Amino acid sequence: MLQEKRKKLEYERLVLVYSDELFRYALWLCRDKSMAEDLVQETCMRAWKSLEKLRDNTSSKAWLMTILRNEHARQYVRYRPDMVDLDLDMLSLRDTDNDTSPDAFALKQALNELANEYKEPLLLQVIGGLSCEEIASVCNITKSATMTRLFRAKQKLRDVLRPDEDER
Amino acid sequence: MKCNEFEFEYTVAPNEIAGDACEHLQICAQCQIFVEQESTFESQLAEVVNGATPEGLRQSLREHVRQEEKGAWRWPKASMALAASLLLAVGLVNINFTQEQSQVTQLPIDQLVVEHFSHDGAHSMEVSHQLDPRQLLKVSDQFGVRVTLGEHISFAEKCPIGDSYGLHMVYQYKGEPITIIYMPEVTLNKILPFQYAGLKGWIKPLETGSIAVLGGATIDLPEEELAEKAIEWL
Repeated sequence: MLQEKRKKLEYERLVLVYSDELFRYALWLCRDKSMAEDLVQETCMRAWKSLEKLRDNTSSKAWLMTILRNEHARQYVRYRPDMVDLDLDMLSLRDTDNDTSPDAFALKQALNELANEYKEPLLLQVIGGLSCEEIASVCNITKSATMTRLFRAKQKLRDVLRPDEDER
Repeated sequence: MKCNEFEFEYTVAPNEIAGDACEHLQICAQCQIFVEQESTFESQLAEVVNGATPEGLRQSLREHVRQEEKGAWRWPKASMALAASLLLAVGLVNINFTQEQSQVTQLPIDQLVVEHFSHDGAHSMEVSHQLDPRQLLKVSDQFGVRVTLGEHISFAEKCPIGDSYGLHMVYQYKGEPITIIYMPEVTLNKILPFQYAGLKGWIKPLETGSIAVLGGATIDLPEEELAEKAIEWL
């Protein structure tokens, strides 16, 4: 019983600390609030069921992000072609806006247009605060590939904000 | 290190730059300007990426697992009662949460309360308007209590405190938010005042469990009588 209670408390801790970050990451993957909530719910359910596998508490964030990413790939990717059209994308951009400045809008749009291979590492860094090594493990790529992708992603986004700036 | 190497390393992960990059930054004016620009860009990016999260997300995640658990673990109540009696008979259940004798809780209760506040404090105080009474009722029901401070409560969630659960609330007292945590499984012999980590407060034993009240070190906290007035048992 005590073990069960500890499991519940550990789950509560994970929910308390990481649910916001999971939701933000899910929202960028799904671009739909309801789907993102469902995805986080499913992620947490899977985490609950395999909580015993989490041996090291310091890696819990990367562990949860990996579950969410896998779950997204499994559950949602195949439905995306039906969902993606310009209006819905633009709607979701407005729907999640905090900062409504032209710069913020342009940045958000550019981020949405980034290829997944660049977007994912960037989101994991900005939303989850994951290190390059953790991102590499979540995305199942090498650390140097992660670094290259992060660099290119930021370069592309920076160009959107400062298009006239020459390369230094 | 060359400037373009520094720029690559800094752009990739500003928080992970190595020692030689730090040394280069200290002596290179051009890269110092680059860092300033990058910091602005990183802030803009974080602002754009980190949007708001739905209200009640945590609660729904807890509820979802609770529902799943109910479905998966249907042990007969009679067996549970028998097992509990046996455990009691052989003296295996000896969990005493008093501060001096706690076996399960590793830290003293005042430290656990402060530790919990450091996790959840900022988030819990984001809202200053009254919490929906139905929401408060739903959470407090799980603890078998009614909260009598309803109109001044702006936040209420079931939270882990050490090895048990607590009802974490934010109470608007004299225009300032203070934190109240009802802990049904934590018992004390006497009132425990505390002040550290920029926080002050007290924990008072109740008929069942105890209640903690805390706020910033300079804030005016309510008298300890509030503990008895704050909740009623159902």
